[in-house]
Amino acid sequence: MGDTIATLQIGESGIIEDFSLDLIPLCLLEMGCLPGKEVRLIQIAPLRDPLYIKVNGSHLAIRKEMADQINITKL
Amino acid sequence: MQEFLVYIALGVAIGFLVKKYFFKSKKKGNCDSDCGC
Amino acid sequence: MKNNVVNVALVGNPNTGKTSLFNQLTGLKQKVGNYPGITVDKKHGKCKISDTLTAEIVDLPGTYSINPQTLDETIVLETLLNKDNDSYPDLIIVVAEVENLKRNLLLFTQIKDLQIPTILAINMADQMNRKGIDIDVELLKQELKTEIILISSRKNIGIDNLKKELANYKNWNTEPSAKISEKIDAAYFSDLEAKFSENSLYKTWLLITQQHYCHFLTKEQNTKIDIVKKDAEKIKKYQHKETIFRYQLINDILKKTYKVDKATATDLRSKLDRILTHKIFGYVIFATILLLIFQSIFEWASFPMDLIDVVFANLSELAKDNLPPGIFTNLIAEGIIPGIGGVLIFIPQIAILFLFIAILEETGYMSRVVFLMDKIMRKFGMSGKSIIPLISGTACAIPAIMASRNISSWKERLITILVIPFTTCSARLPVYAILISLIIPSERVLGIFNLQGLTLMALYLLGFAAAISSAILLHHILKIENKSLFVIEMPNYKVPSLKNVFYEVVEKTKAFILGAGKIILALSIVLWFLASNGPLKYKNAEQFVPSLEENTTVSNEVLQKKIASYKLEHSYIGYMGKTIEPIIEPMGYDWKIGIALISSFAAREVFVGALATIYSVESEGEDVGTIKQRMAAEVNPKTGEKRFNFASGMSLLLFYAFAMQCIGTLAIVKRETKSWKWPILQLTGMSTLAYIVATITYTILK
Repeated sequence: MGDTIATLQIGESGIIEDFSLDLIPLCLLEMGCLPGKEVRLIQIAPLRDPLYIKVNGSHLAIRKEMADQINITKL
Repeated sequence: MQEFLVYIALGVAIGFLVKKYFFKSKKKGNCDSDCGC
Repeated sequence: MKNNVVNVALVGNPNTGKTSLFNQLTGLKQKVGNYPGITVDKKHGKCKISDTLTAEIVDLPGTYSINPQTLDETIVLETLLNKDNDSYPDLIIVVAEVENLKRNLLLFTQIKDLQIPTILAINMADQMNRKGIDIDVELLKQELKTEIILISSRKNIGIDNLKKELANYKNWNTEPSAKISEKIDAAYFSDLEAKFSENSLYKTWLLITQQHYCHFLTKEQNTKIDIVKKDAEKIKKYQHKETIFRYQLINDILKKTYKVDKATATDLRSKLDRILTHKIFGYVIFATILLLIFQSIFEWASFPMDLIDVVFANLSELAKDNLPPGIFTNLIAEGIIPGIGGVLIFIPQIAILFLFIAILEETGYMSRVVFLMDKIMRKFGMSGKSIIPLISGTACAIPAIMASRNISSWKERLITILVIPFTTCSARLPVYAILISLIIPSERVLGIFNLQGLTLMALYLLGFAAAISSAILLHHILKIENKSLFVIEMPNYKVPSLKNVFYEVVEKTKAFILGAGKIILALSIVLWFLASNGPLKYKNAEQFVPSLEENTTVSNEVLQKKIASYKLEHSYIGYMGKTIEPIIEPMGYDWKIGIALISSFAAREVFVGALATIYSVESEGEDVGTIKQRMAAEVNPKTGEKRFNFASGMSLLLFYAFAMQCIGTLAIVKRETKSWKWPILQLTGMSTLAYIVATITYTILK
């Protein structure tokens, strides 16, 4: 579908499909960023980086280059 | 007596400084770069 | 009654109130020590569990998973895998909290799989109603195969229950949380289990997946492990699967046992976040808070600092009057007491700054600051997490550098460490103060701004500008791989716990005292010796000076001052000053200032006291009024002008702004970077910069 976490607007949600990177960093998975989970964009810093998201119950901030790699289907 | 004490204090001070700066701390296989994923 | 001691390890995610629990259990009986070979602080303390059982509790750094991201987190792994580690636990308390239970349980299931007796303490249980959370504890106990205690470390609820259960640790279930290995690849793992039968399966797995922890294994074991490690891709894939399956397990369990009624939950977080992370207001608020902090530090710190100044000046006199006369008494009165005083006088400023930072961190606001600042900081080669160390550097570089340990990218962390010394630390202030009052007129600009105050602010900004510029430079020059794995939690907002804040401030202040203090004291002793001894001319001062024609008619008081001044000039440090005079002349200094510069290597503010001695002013607690007059009167024999004129004064100010004179900082940089390369680079780089800038300034302005 071409959407990633980085293409979400504030308040929008999506379901995580898969990752563009062959091997996504383990730490992201460990924080709860897993395929099938809902992710919502809460806030974004100026220049669209970093992104403040809620995913799988956790409130996290990740950098845009990471968000670009996480493919979603928008809800 | 006083001179003696002064030289002891001086010796301790210098010894401490030398040890702090020139003593190689034992490395026990710790990470030099980030141990991230 | 025989008293048994058990080793207890406290683990858990950050922001679960783990430290709060640690403080509750150990109170003042806690100590901060050092892990050998690694630059992370070890927090441990004693706690009486029952009449026959005492616990030696170690508070391990907060971590989200047993797989470490930062230096701090490697400690957790090291402690739990290495049986020979001093803190290897007999039992483990995993601290979770009600709101983020799902994620907390990832770490819990990993820990449980180590098959060390483990208990789960769910913290902030008092918040359940407010958040509409309901937990079926009994069922959860069964599903997780563990004892669970609901606690509120802040309100001191459930702690006694916890202790009661701890006394019972030998009866705990040590089964692993689930047969995850079977789900990933049953054959592979049973083969592994057979090969490494001396460890629990999960422990073996960790040894294989981690890179650095095999130093405590035998050579034979290491060889076996290295063979398995060869299949790196497979191992990484399995790690991923492991995490996914763990979360599946946790999800299934929580579906049965954990319910949230969103209707009753109050949501303070989103309301506050809307303002605090707003693209404009977020920054405005942050800037305002910073201003308030600095303003407060200046206002509140001056009273206790003056107090300490007076106390130590009096102690010095007391020592001289009451101890038997002799050079050791002189050492105490003129070297040791002022040396200690010189360290303690910074405590008010440092403590107040760390108080503010601790409060902001406790409330959860700091994560929002990191969020706001990350993009900007990255342009300078640093991370959003670098902002706290940089701000801390305005108190003292030593605890500031230590605070950079939570930056996971080595390059970002290194750059942060290298540029922190540029920020204007407390020790530069006394030097700035006296020079500004000497060379900057006390006028008002635009009716409201005090010119002297503006100059001080300009110097602060210069420090930050220098830090950022050198960061940018290093960012482009240093060829280090920059793996930016930036994931930070945005915790819920909390009212800060004063207890936690208090302990945090004490810790950071101790770091300064022990890190800088010992060095300053040692150097003070050495410098005193160099200033109080000298070759022949020094020894003959008492006979020589009075014999000079100009001195035959002066009062005894003046004569004594002249003798002191002559002695200093011909002491070892005096000769050192004369030796460096040709080097420092282009900056507008003479050998007297040279002596002061050398002396200020112990502590920058010694500069003022050294000048006082040199100009033979009786420095009763550094009576600035008199020193100032004397400095203003000093004349440069070559030019006939004032020694401390605008040109040389500015040159000195800029020299102090850029010079790396704090050997305490150099020691810490060496420790944190584990190499001499970086502190030497700092020293040469900053000294060169200081020299060039000071020389140019003097040349232009004179």
